[in-house]
Amino acid sequence: MSEDKKNLILSVKDLEVKFKVRDKVLTAIRRISMDFEEGKVVAIVGESGSGKSVFTKTFTGMLEINGTVTNGEIWFEGKDLAKIKNDKEWEQIRGKKIATVFQDPMTSLNPVKTIGDQISEVIIKHQGKSKAEAKKMAIEMMGRVGIREPEKRYNEYPFMYSGGMRQRIVIAIALACRPRILICDEPTTALDVTIQAQIIRLIKDLSQEYGFTTIYITHDLGVVANVADVVAVMYAGQIIEYGNVNEIFYDSRHPYTWGLLSSLPQLGEKGENLFAIRGTPPSLFEEIKGDAFAPRSNYALKIDYEQEPPFFKVSDTHFAKTWLMDPRAPKVEPPAAVRELHERMLALTSKGGIYGER
Amino acid sequence: MKRYVLTRILKSILSIFAVVSIVIVMIYTMIPSDKVFDNDAGAKKMKGDQLVTYKMRKLKELGYQDYASINEMCIATFGDNAKACSDGDEAARSQAVDKYASKGYAINTLKSGEPYAVHKYRWYELLGRFYSKLLVIDNVNAIKDEENPDLERKYYWGKNPYNGTPALLCSGCTYKYQLYFDGSFPFIHQNKFRLDFGTSFPTSQGVPTLQVINEGQGPNKKVEQNFETGLTEQSALIQTSCQYKFKTDHLDEKRFNDHYASCLSYHESPSMVQTSYTLGLIALVIAYAMGIPLGILMAQNKDKLVDKVGIAYINLLIAVPSLAFIFFMRSIGTLFGLPDKFPQLGFNDIRSYIMPVLILALLQTPSLMMWLRRYMIDQSNADYVKFARAKGLSQGEIFRSHILKNAIIPIVNGIPASIILCISGALITESAFAVPGMGKMLPDAIKTTNNNMVITLVFIFTTLSILSVLIGDILMTVVDPRISLTEKGGK
Repeated sequence: MSEDKKNLILSVKDLEVKFKVRDKVLTAIRRISMDFEEGKVVAIVGESGSGKSVFTKTFTGMLEINGTVTNGEIWFEGKDLAKIKNDKEWEQIRGKKIATVFQDPMTSLNPVKTIGDQISEVIIKHQGKSKAEAKKMAIEMMGRVGIREPEKRYNEYPFMYSGGMRQRIVIAIALACRPRILICDEPTTALDVTIQAQIIRLIKDLSQEYGFTTIYITHDLGVVANVADVVAVMYAGQIIEYGNVNEIFYDSRHPYTWGLLSSLPQLGEKGENLFAIRGTPPSLFEEIKGDAFAPRSNYALKIDYEQEPPFFKVSDTHFAKTWLMDPRAPKVEPPAAVRELHERMLALTSKGGIYGER
Repeated sequence: MKRYVLTRILKSILSIFAVVSIVIVMIYTMIPSDKVFDNDAGAKKMKGDQLVTYKMRKLKELGYQDYASINEMCIATFGDNAKACSDGDEAARSQAVDKYASKGYAINTLKSGEPYAVHKYRWYELLGRFYSKLLVIDNVNAIKDEENPDLERKYYWGKNPYNGTPALLCSGCTYKYQLYFDGSFPFIHQNKFRLDFGTSFPTSQGVPTLQVINEGQGPNKKVEQNFETGLTEQSALIQTSCQYKFKTDHLDEKRFNDHYASCLSYHESPSMVQTSYTLGLIALVIAYAMGIPLGILMAQNKDKLVDKVGIAYINLLIAVPSLAFIFFMRSIGTLFGLPDKFPQLGFNDIRSYIMPVLILALLQTPSLMMWLRRYMIDQSNADYVKFARAKGLSQGEIFRSHILKNAIIPIVNGIPASIILCISGALITESAFAVPGMGKMLPDAIKTTNNNMVITLVFIFTTLSILSVLIGDILMTVVDPRISLTEKGGK
């Protein structure tokens, strides 16, 4: 969507993903186009089932067995990843070029293999190092992600580690081969709040040090505000708003983004009712006509039910997919909570807390 | 860990005692004692008072009851002055009888009019008698031979006559060779501690039950050996098994310098235990060698042709009654010229073993394949597998170094049991091929009311089962780092 194509690391065009579920076809990703710039931190936000995870899984060929990319291209290092069919080729991408950190560190590690083995096996596989070399590199990596006395802990098992420590190990494994892209699929959801902040900090520091592009998948806008350069808001298999973090937080245009921001519990004020987006997301088994969010939107126009809105440009980096941006549309004000977001954020960050580090 | 294992062993011993005690009480109190004589050839030839006396005496021997004939009552009552009583003095007799009656004995009368006293043991007496003589510790004063008052009482070092290794010998003990070494499992052998389960009856009458299970079968096998007198001859005697013999003959004197001349013999064929164990163990190795790779293959190719064929095989073997399968396989074997009965070619021909081993192995494969496949498929949906894929490992690497390691854990737990319990033999297969093994032992012993044998086998099987569970658990700690055996709560 950004016009200048400088330093693009990953470029998705017209991506469509379908799943076969009990003889019915579900369209999980409905023609997404998006570019990822090198070194940036991109956050993909949206509610459960909006297709965030599915979208990023296509970059590593990790779709479930009943899912297929039915249309589109994913360009990475001059190669169209959407065309890759066999696992052999994917193995050259996964872990080596594009690494993933999953949600639950408690189950991401093999319980009966030592921590050290699980790190060095990636190094041996992708960098062809000897066992001894791999061990040395693994220990170094363990130290880098903040494990104390890594030599001693190399031969320990995951059950001896706390959740936060395990997530550090998972990150160490993901970064062991210096990937160019790190996908963090809700990396902190399973962790408690203080550990969340540490892990986010760690990923951020490492991304600066190693210079990889980070893609966060999260429904925690607090995390987004803290780390992201660019935010993409997803709804019903589409990106509906896209822009850098300040634009999304303080100048958002799509009613769904407003809804998301208004429902941030951290920004709720005492005595006020917390906002909730009414209704449920549409069924992706049927074809969606018009704007998918229209039935749940307080700002729906008649055309929202008839025709799918195009992307309207707000600024060079900010796009929104809503008819409200059309010059013919009536002028509407975003809800109060969103208008006051800046003040509330400031109040929140000046109080300190986990999102105050930005 | 050490403490845990110790308490486990203690608990195991307790449970063994519990099981054996229940079995003893059941056998002696719930089965009519008369059933013992159903298969006894001796009892069939007798009738009248002779039969009654025989039965009473036998039941006493077998531990059902205490019994005293009138003579014994007289001797017990009057000691050296029993002559009058034994000769029929009425007053003395009734005094003796009264004494027994007052002790709680039931007084019955034979047809001849002679009284006799019987006391049926109650359950606690039964258990007390059994356990008090269960463990026999050999010692230098074990032998009391009035005709050999000069018997030396000492331990001394000698040599194993077969291989020249040092051996601890004893004069005055029941066994001459107390401790010796040789090349057969478990390499160190001792005769100091023995378990005495009594003798077998009515089959193999008078032979200790353990010996029935353990001793070789078939005709004696003579090997050339040197005796301590310097004699070298072809003999079947196993010198290291020799016990004290009260009345030695001139043949014994030619071979031995002392009274230890009552020895076991070498036999042409292995014992029942050994036969079953050999068959079972080979079958087990084949079963695992087949089942594990096939299970892995099926899991790796889930829902593909290989998997479907495998499932069909598993279903078939589970659905077909094992007896039908055994006879079907046996007739296939005969097509290839393999014997349909084990004794046809005997122990020394490898063809005797092929079909029984193959059948035993095949019968074990379905469950092995099924469970391994299932465990592996369970594991392959785990998050760590997803993460391993995201790491860029290939499907093969994930299966080999991640999934298998987890899936094999419950299988490993069962391995010691499978190995150890091979001893119990395989009833149906062994019967179909008439293999002289352990399989038929327990049913046969029950059928013939061979009480001591039943108790012996129950004791052995219980001990082995409990032992194999314990070893299985210990083995788990080796393959699964998360498991550690501690008393309460893990560390």
